[in-house]
Amino acid sequence: MSEFISKPGVKNLQRDGEKLITTHCSYCGMQCGMHIRVSERTGEIKGVEPRYDWPVTLGKLCPKGVTAYQQIDHPDRIKRPLIKKNGEFIESSWDEALSLIERKFTELQEKHGKDSLSVFGGVSMTNEKCYLVGKYARVALGTRFIDYNGRFCMSSAAGGFNQTFGLDRGSTLPWTELEHSDCFLIAGSNTAECHPTSIQMFWKARDKGAKMIVVDPRETPTARIADVHLDLKPGTDSALANGLLHLIIKEGYVDQEYVDERCNNYEELKASVEAFTPDHTASLTGVDKEKIIKAAHIFGQSPRSVVMFARGVEQQSKGVDNVTLYSALALLRGQIGKFASGVATFTGQGNGQGGREHGQKSDLLPGYRKLTDPEAVKYISKVWGIEPEEMPKPGVSAYEMFDEIHNGTIKAMHVICSNPAVSSPNVEYAWEAFKKLDFLVVNDFFLSETAEFADVVLPTTTWAEDEGTTTNLEGRVIRIRKAIEPLHESKPDWEIFGEIAKRLGKGKHFNYKNPREIFEEFRIATKGGKADYSGITYERIDKEDGVFWPCPSEDHPGTPTIFKDKFSTPDGKANLPAVAWKEPGEIPTKEFPLRLTTGRVVYHYLSGNQTRRIDFLMEQCPVPYAEMHPELASQYNMRDGEMIKLSTPRSSMELEVKLTKATRNDIVFVPYHWGKELSVNKLTNPSLDPISRMPEFKVCSAKIEKL
Amino acid sequence: MQKLERSFYSKASMYSFFVVMILILSMWLGTGQFVHVDMMLFGYLIGSLVFAIGITLRMVSWSLRPATHQMLKRSFSNLRNRERKKRNISSIIKTAIDNIILQKFIFKRGIYRGVTHWLIAWGCIGSFAITFGLTFGWMHFSLIDPETYQIIVMGVPTITMAAHGLFAEMVYNGLNITAMMVLIGVLMALIRRTTSPDVKVTQRTEFDLVPLYILLTVTVTGLVLTLSYAVLDGWMHNYLSLIHQITVVLFLVYFPFGKLFHLPIRPMTTAVPMNYQEHLQVDTRACKRCETLYSNDDQIADVKEILGAQSFDLQLSDGTYLSDYCPACRRRMRVMKQMNLESQHKNPYAPIQTMTDVQVPGFGKHRADSYYEKKDKGDKNHE
Amino acid sequence: MNKIMYLEFERCIGCRACQAACRECGDHDAKERNFVEHVDFMESRQTFPMMCMQCKDPACARVCPANAIQITEEGVVLSASDEKCIGCRNCTFGCPFGIPKFDFEENKMYKCDMCYDRSKHDIAPMCASVCPSDAIRFIDFDEMQSLRRRRTQMNLVEGKKPTEQDKWKYVPEFFGVYSD
Repeated sequence: MSEFISKPGVKNLQRDGEKLITTHCSYCGMQCGMHIRVSERTGEIKGVEPRYDWPVTLGKLCPKGVTAYQQIDHPDRIKRPLIKKNGEFIESSWDEALSLIERKFTELQEKHGKDSLSVFGGVSMTNEKCYLVGKYARVALGTRFIDYNGRFCMSSAAGGFNQTFGLDRGSTLPWTELEHSDCFLIAGSNTAECHPTSIQMFWKARDKGAKMIVVDPRETPTARIADVHLDLKPGTDSALANGLLHLIIKEGYVDQEYVDERCNNYEELKASVEAFTPDHTASLTGVDKEKIIKAAHIFGQSPRSVVMFARGVEQQSKGVDNVTLYSALALLRGQIGKFASGVATFTGQGNGQGGREHGQKSDLLPGYRKLTDPEAVKYISKVWGIEPEEMPKPGVSAYEMFDEIHNGTIKAMHVICSNPAVSSPNVEYAWEAFKKLDFLVVNDFFLSETAEFADVVLPTTTWAEDEGTTTNLEGRVIRIRKAIEPLHESKPDWEIFGEIAKRLGKGKHFNYKNPREIFEEFRIATKGGKADYSGITYERIDKEDGVFWPCPSEDHPGTPTIFKDKFSTPDGKANLPAVAWKEPGEIPTKEFPLRLTTGRVVYHYLSGNQTRRIDFLMEQCPVPYAEMHPELASQYNMRDGEMIKLSTPRSSMELEVKLTKATRNDIVFVPYHWGKELSVNKLTNPSLDPISRMPEFKVCSAKIEKL
Repeated sequence: MQKLERSFYSKASMYSFFVVMILILSMWLGTGQFVHVDMMLFGYLIGSLVFAIGITLRMVSWSLRPATHQMLKRSFSNLRNRERKKRNISSIIKTAIDNIILQKFIFKRGIYRGVTHWLIAWGCIGSFAITFGLTFGWMHFSLIDPETYQIIVMGVPTITMAAHGLFAEMVYNGLNITAMMVLIGVLMALIRRTTSPDVKVTQRTEFDLVPLYILLTVTVTGLVLTLSYAVLDGWMHNYLSLIHQITVVLFLVYFPFGKLFHLPIRPMTTAVPMNYQEHLQVDTRACKRCETLYSNDDQIADVKEILGAQSFDLQLSDGTYLSDYCPACRRRMRVMKQMNLESQHKNPYAPIQTMTDVQVPGFGKHRADSYYEKKDKGDKNHE
Repeated sequence: MNKIMYLEFERCIGCRACQAACRECGDHDAKERNFVEHVDFMESRQTFPMMCMQCKDPACARVCPANAIQITEEGVVLSASDEKCIGCRNCTFGCPFGIPKFDFEENKMYKCDMCYDRSKHDIAPMCASVCPSDAIRFIDFDEMQSLRRRRTQMNLVEGKKPTEQDKWKYVPEFFGVYSD
C-alpha cells in the first residue's frame, strides 16, 4: 500500500530523509488535498507539501490548512486520560478512566433508565467514526438521546433538500465543473473566508466571463467582486428569494418544459410569490429595487447557473424555507441535474456531508435510513446483530438535549469531537446544563471549553494519527491516511467506543481491529439506503480520485451529478415550496434596535478549539471584534478600536469596534470562534427552525453601548 | 595627495604599496634591523604580505562602492563632530562589546550557532595575532636567565615570566589553544552545514564550505605538528612543518577573497548606532503619508544620495521620493496606482469600488450582454 | 528557470495562506517574507499580496554598505547574507516596493527568495502553490506575457494608460527572473 500518491509529471519537493503521506486537510468541507511531511528516521511530523494533483483543490490551501499539521504534535495535546477530582483534572490510566465511566454509566442507567445517558457527536471525523458514534449510542449505551453538532451547522440544508429533492446531498454537481458555469447566485456564504480554496473555481469562471450575484449583509471579499451585491437585512432571505422567484416568473425566465416534467406544486409557488413585487421585496429586505431586478435578469438569462448557499441562510429559524426557496430558483430555471449547473451548499465541517448520513442524527440510521421506518430498523438491527426491539426510538435535537438536561431526563453525556460550550446558541444555558449533569465524558485531543466541564476527558488522536474516509462537500468520498502512530497515550475514537462497549457487555458488537473493518461493515449498513456507499472501496478511492455516492455496487461509477433523470422523492419529482413571509425569531425593538449577525473569520475554524492554539492563526486574529459601519458607530460616538458593550436580551459582552464601510449600516457582526467571556454565542438566539431544529445564530436583536 | 595617487594605477595599488612598505619597516624595527628574522618563517612572511595586499585591495574597492562610501563618509564626519562625542564613544564601546567581543546577535540566532561562531572568530583572531606577531618579528622571546623569559615587543622589552610558569605555558601554547578553539568551532559548523536542511537551501560549496575545510586543514596540521614534537619526539617534524606552512599560506592568500573577508568589515556595524539609530528600534522620522515613524533623517538622506549616485530615479511627480514613505505606504501606493484606486469616491457611505466596471480588470474578458440575451435554454448548451 | 511569478491584486481574498505557507519553506526560519495588507479596511475589504520583485538591478543591493545582498545565477535576490549584514536597514528604505523585513533580535535583514529550494527545481514557491485565489501564480513566461497583454488592453479600455518609462509608478505586476 503506497502512502504517497502522485500523478505522473507532478513535481513535489521531497527533502532528504523525509517521506510524504497523501491525505486531506482536517478542517472544512473542502477537504483540500495535502501531503504531510514525515521524518523517515524519527517519524516526526515535519510540515506540509501541496498536493498539486488533487483535482478539486489543485494544491491550494488556506492558512488553516497550511498550519493544520501543527495540531498533531502540539504541546497542548492531552497526553493521558484526565479525571476531575475536587474540581481539578488529574492524569490517570486508561483503565482507571474507563472503569469510572463503566461504573457511572451502569449506575445511572440502573437508577434512571437507559435514556439517562446521551451522546453528543460531531462530524469533524471520519465516516467510520461517525458511523460508530450512532452504533455506540444505540447499541452500547442503548439510549435514544443522540444528536450531533451538525444541528448547528447543516441540518436546515438537509431538511430543505429532503423536502425539495427527497435526498440531501450537499451539491448536485461536482465542483470541478463550477468553472464552466455562467452565473453564480451565492447566498449567505462568505466563501472567500470560510471555504477559501473554493474561490479559485469562481475566479476561473469569472475569467471566462461568468457573472456573480452575492447575497450577504456585509460586503465580504466574495461580495466585493460580485456583479450584483444584494446587501439584505439579516433574516430576510425568504423575502429576497421570493422576490427573485416573482421576477423570474414574471419576466418569463422559467424553463416551463423542465418544471412541467420534473416539479410538483408550481401553481402554488406562483401564487405565493405573487405578492413579492420588487417594491415589496425591497421594503422587506432593505435592498435597492434596481439591484433585485438586475440580479433577477442576470440569473434568469444565464444559460447555466449554480445556486449556492451556506450558514447565512441556513442558521435561521426559517432555514429550511430559505433552502427550499433558493433551490426553487434553480428548479424554475431547469438547472438541476445538468452540466455546470445545479444547487449546492457549502458544507462547513470536514465530514459534514458524510457525518450526517450515517446515523448520528436523533432520527436517522446509516445510509439516511429513517429510524421511524420499521424496515430500516430491521435491516440495521441485523447488520448490528441486535433485535429490532432493542433499537431505541428517535431522540431530540442537539439544543433540545440541553432542555432535557435541565428537565432532569438526561443525567450523563458523552461528547465526542464537538465543543458545544462554544458552538451552541445562548451558550450560558448550555453551560448551566453541563454543570447540572451528573457525569460528563469528553473525547478530545485538546482541552476544549466543553472538556473543562467534564468529569472524564479521554485523549483522542488527531486526524493524522488514524486512517479512514470522509465525504467532502461535493459528496465525493475520499481517504484520510495515517501519517504517524498515535502520540502519547491517545487512542482513536473507535477504539475508545470498543473499550467502553466491552465494559458494558456489548464488546462483541465492536470487534474491530482497524478502520477498514468498520468501513466494510458500514458499506453493508448503507447498502440499499439513500446514501449508498456499498460500491466504494479504499482502493477505488485512490484509483479514481474519490468516488461520489450513491454508489450501489463495485462496478458502479459513482454519481458525480445527481438527479440527472429524476429526483429521490417518491414520485421522482421535485417539490416546489410555497412560503409566506415570516419575520425572524427576534426583530429589532426600541430597547434592542440593531441586528446582530455572527460568522467566521478565515483564520479560525468553528469553535476555535484547534485553531486558537496555532501561533500563526492567533497572530492574525487573537480576539473577536464588533464590525460595524462608521455611520452606525458615529451615532453612538464610537471610534475605531474602542471597547464597547454589546447586549441582546440574553446576555452581554465587551468587544473592540472595527469600522468598515463594507457592511450594512444597521448591523453588528461578531465572529464566534471564542469561548467563555469572549463567546458571542452567549448572545445568540436559540429560536429553532420548526423542521430542522436549527437555532437562529445569524440574526437577533441587539444594542450597543459605549463603555 | 592627488598627485601622489596619479603615480599609481589606482587607489588600491597605492594603498597596497604603502601597506607593504609599512609592514617591512615595522619588521625592520621589530627585528632589530632584521637580526631576529626567523628564516623558518619565511613562507609565512610571504603569505602574510600577500594577505596584506589582498585585504588592502578588497577594502579599498569595497569602500569605493557608493553605499559604503556614503556610510564611511558620514561616519568620519560624525566622528569629527565634537557635539556627538558622547554618542560616538558609547556607540563604539557598545558595538565592540556586544557585536564583536560577545557577538550577542549570533547567539540570538541560536546558542549552537553562537558558540560555533565565537570559537571560530576568536580562534582565528588569536591565531592571526600570534602568527603576524612572530612572522613580522613584532614580538619575540628572549631568555634573560635560565629561569626567566622576557617578551620583546617591537624591540622594547616588556613582561618577564618564569620559564615554566602557568602564564608561560599559556603563551607558548597560545597557538595551540586558538587552534583548538577553531577546530571545535569548525567541526560544529561542518556538522550544522551537513545536517540542517535549511542551511543547505542557499549554501554554496565553494563559498560556504571551502573556508571551513581550509581552516580544518590549518588547525589539524598545526596540532599534529605540536603533537609531533611534544609527544613523538619530533617525528617527521620537517615534513609536518612544511605541510602546515603550506596550509597556512593557502589560508592567508584565500582570506581576503572569500567568505572570511566579513571579519575586517564587521567594525562598520558601529555606524548604525553612531549615524542612524541611537537607540535600537527607536525611529524619529515620520512617513510623509501615514505619519508613522519609520526611520531617521540622516539615513533617508544617505539612501537618497546613494540611489541618486547610481541613477535610480525614485522621485514621484510631486517631488517626493519613495524613501520618504514608510515601507507599508510604499507597498500600498504601488497597489493603489495599479488598481487605479487613488481618486474615486462616488458615494461616501459606500465602500470604495475596487471594481472599476462590471468586470474586474484582470478578470478575463468582458462578455457581451447579448450572450445572456440569447433565449436558448441551458440544456441546449449541455455539452 | 523558465517560470516566473505573477501577481494580480484584484484576485486577492486576504486569507494570508501565502504568509502561513511562507513560514513553511526551507530556510525561512518560520518567518514570513511576504505581505498581505488591506488597501484601507475602512473603505473596502480589498487586500493585496506583495512580495519581492527580484529586480534585475536591485536597489536594495545597491544601497547595502556591506554588499551583503547577493543574486543567484537564476536571478533570485537573496536575503542579506548572515555574515555580512551589519543591520543598517538601508535596504528597507531603499527598496521602492517596501519589501525587505528586518529582525532586530538577530540583527539581520530577511526577504523573499522565491522559496529558492523549490523554484530552483521549477517547483512553485509555497505562496504561489497555496494561494487559493490565484492572486499569486507561478507560470510560464509566455502565459505571463499573454495575461499582461490582456490586462494592458483592459487598462487601455478603461483609460488607465501608464506613462512611458514611468516604471516605479506603474510597475508591471510580474517578477521573477524577468523584469523590464
